[in-house]
Amino acid sequence: MKATGGGAVLAAMTGYAGRVTRQTQGGSVEGPIKIGVLGPADSPVGQSIFNSVTLAADEINGEGGIGGAQVQVVTKDTKQDPSTGRAAYQELTTGENVDLTAGIFTSEVLLTILPLMAQQQTIHLTSGAATPEAPQQVAASYDQFKYFFRVGPVNSHYLGVNMVDFAKAEFGDMGFSSVAVMAEDFKWTEPISAALQGDLEDTGVDVPYNERIAGDTQDFTPIYDEIQSQDVDAVYTVLAHIGTSSLVQWAKQQRPFQYGGIHVPAQYPNFWELTTGATAYVFAQNTATPQVGPTDQSVPYANAYNDQFGGYPIYTGYSAYDSVYIYKNAVEQAGSKNADDLVEPLEGTSYTGVSGTVEFYGRDSDYPHDVKYGSDLAFPLWYQWQPAGDGGTPAVFYPDSLADGQYEPAPWTQ
Amino acid sequence: MVNLVNIAVNWLLLSALYALVAIGFTLIFGVGGVLNLAHGANITIGAYTAYLLTTSLGASVWVGALGALVVPGLFSLALYQGLVSKVEEHPITVMILTLVTALVVEQVFVVGVGTTPRTVSSLLRGSVTIAGTSVRTNRLLVFVLSWVLIGALFAYITRTRQGKAILATSMSEKGAAIVGIDDGRIFTLTWLIAGMLAGIAGLFLASFTSAQPFIGRSPLLLSFSIVVLGGIGSIRGSVIGAYLVGLLDVVTVSMISTRLSGLLPLVVLVVVLIVRPEGLFGRELVE
Repeated sequence: MKATGGGAVLAAMTGYAGRVTRQTQGGSVEGPIKIGVLGPADSPVGQSIFNSVTLAADEINGEGGIGGAQVQVVTKDTKQDPSTGRAAYQELTTGENVDLTAGIFTSEVLLTILPLMAQQQTIHLTSGAATPEAPQQVAASYDQFKYFFRVGPVNSHYLGVNMVDFAKAEFGDMGFSSVAVMAEDFKWTEPISAALQGDLEDTGVDVPYNERIAGDTQDFTPIYDEIQSQDVDAVYTVLAHIGTSSLVQWAKQQRPFQYGGIHVPAQYPNFWELTTGATAYVFAQNTATPQVGPTDQSVPYANAYNDQFGGYPIYTGYSAYDSVYIYKNAVEQAGSKNADDLVEPLEGTSYTGVSGTVEFYGRDSDYPHDVKYGSDLAFPLWYQWQPAGDGGTPAVFYPDSLADGQYEPAPWTQ
Repeated sequence: MVNLVNIAVNWLLLSALYALVAIGFTLIFGVGGVLNLAHGANITIGAYTAYLLTTSLGASVWVGALGALVVPGLFSLALYQGLVSKVEEHPITVMILTLVTALVVEQVFVVGVGTTPRTVSSLLRGSVTIAGTSVRTNRLLVFVLSWVLIGALFAYITRTRQGKAILATSMSEKGAAIVGIDDGRIFTLTWLIAGMLAGIAGLFLASFTSAQPFIGRSPLLLSFSIVVLGGIGSIRGSVIGAYLVGLLDVVTVSMISTRLSGLLPLVVLVVVLIVRPEGLFGRELVE
C-alpha cells in the first residue's frame, strides 16, 4: 500500500487517526511555517529524522496546517561534523529564515550549534543527540539557551539509568549473575558509564570487567578473550560506531557469553538483513520496534512511514515526528510562532505521541527542557533479535506490559 | 587475565593480515618511488566486491574472494594507467591525486551503499583448538592464505624474470632501463599486484569485522607505521614490521588498555621517523 496524498488520505488508508483528533485550530498564524531539519543525510538515523518530519508536516498540512499556516520543510546535511552542522544551521536560520529547527542526531554537532540558538532566537526541538550537556547549559544560562528542548531519546544519563533498571528487572530471569561492561570511548557514552558505575553492581550482579574501548577498534578478539577469561554470563554493551563489527565478531566467534545492551546498529529495523543474521540472539534497547511501541500510536506511525518511504523508521524518527506535533500544539496555544512566546507553552507540554508521553523537566531541575524519563513517560523498551522463518524479528521482552516474546540465550552458549 | 597463548595466536593471525596490506604499499613506493594513498581504497573495494557478489548476486564466498582479488587489482591498474602514470615524476602530485581518489571511493560507497556496516561471509565456518585456545578456522585460513600470497610474491620477485625486473627497477631505474627493462610495464605490474593484495586483505578484514566505507583508513595508517618501521621499500622489512606493529597492537589491547588500540603504532611511526628514519632494514639496495 502506497500513500500518495496528505494526512487525511494517509489516515484513512492506514486507520491512523490519532493525530487528527488532537487537532486544535488555534486561531490564525502568519504562514508559511518553515521547519529546518538537520541530520546526517547519508545515514539511516538522519533519513528517519528527515522523513518523519516530512510525514508529520504532510499530515498537518492535509488537516489545515498549524493555526491555519501551511508547513514547509527544509532539510540540511550535518555530515555528523560540527563545522558542517554549524554552517547548515546558519543557512537554515538566516538564509531560509526557518521558525523551528529539529533533528541533529550528533551530540558534538548539537553542542556546537547551541550557542547559535541563543543568537538566532529560534526554537530547537532536538532528536537523537543524547548528551546531558545541552540541558545543563540551559540550567546554567536559562535566558540564553531556553530555546533548546530535547524530545528524544532520554539523555544519556537516563539511558544508563534505564540499563540499570533493566538489569534489576530482567537479569535474574535471563540467567545473568555476572556481566562485562563494554563501552565505546566516545563522549556520548561517558554519562552512561558514570550511571552504570556502582549502580549496576548494586542490583546484585557481579561486574568483573568494565572497560572503555577505543573508537577505532577493529579486532575484538583480544577483548573477547579477556572477557571470556572472566567467565561472565554476558557482555553488556554501550556501542554505536563500532557496534556492528563487535557484534559480528561475537557471533562469528560464537563466544560463550550473551551479548546486548545499548547497541545503536541493532536498533535498525533491517539489521537482521544488514548482518545476514549475525544479530541473532542479541538484545538491545530501543524506543520501539515496527511491531511494538510505547503508545497505541507508535505502530500506526511506523506503518504510515513504511507505506510512504518503503522501510521502517529508526528511533530518531519517532521523536522527530513527535517534535512537529509538539511544536504545532505550542504555536496554536500561543497563537504565535514567535520563539519567545513559545517557550512557556513548550515547557508545559504533556504530549502522548509515538515515542511515549513527552514532558520536559522544569527550569529548576538538573536537566531543564530535557524529555522526562519514567515508566509512564519516555521509557525505552528492550527486545531480542530472534530467528523467524527465513529471517529474524525483534521480540520485545521488557517492560512486561509491551512484551511480545521471551528472551532466549544464544544456542551455542548452552 | 588472558593467557600468553591467546595473545600469541591473536598476534600471529592479525599480523599476517597487516603484512598483506603493507607489502603492496611498500612495493609501490620501492619500485615507483611514490606513495599510494589510495591503497586503503583497494581494501574497501575488495571488501564491498565480496559483499555485493555474495549477497546481491548470491555468489559463493569463493567467487566473492576471486572478485575481491580481481576488481581492486583492475581498479589499481586503471588508477595507475589513467592518472598516476601521467604525473609520476611529481611525487607530491601523486600523493594528492591518490588521496583524492581514496576520498572519492569512500564517498561512492557512502552514497551507493550507505554508512551502515555490512556483514561479509566467512570463507570457512567452525573452529579448531590450537594449544588449548579455540581459533576460528576462518581466521586460520586468512593466516595461511596471507602467508601463501606473501610467499608467492617472494618467489615471484626472486625467481621469475618479471619479478627480478621488478626488483631491479626498485634498485635502480636507470640500471634497469640500461638492461632493457620497460619500467612502465613494471610499474603497471606493481600497481596491479598491490591492488590485488590489498583487495583480498579487504575481504579477509571484512569477513571477521564487517564492510564499511572507511574500512581502508586504519590499515593505510598502519601501513605507514609498518613500512617506516621495516624500512620504506623493503618487502622483508614490511613483513617484520607488520609483526612488530601487530604485537604492539595485541599487547596494548590485552595487557595495557583497550582505549589505546591503534595509538601505539602511530607513536612508533613518529619515534622511528626521528630516531631511525631509514627503518630497521632500510632499502635492500638503493641507487
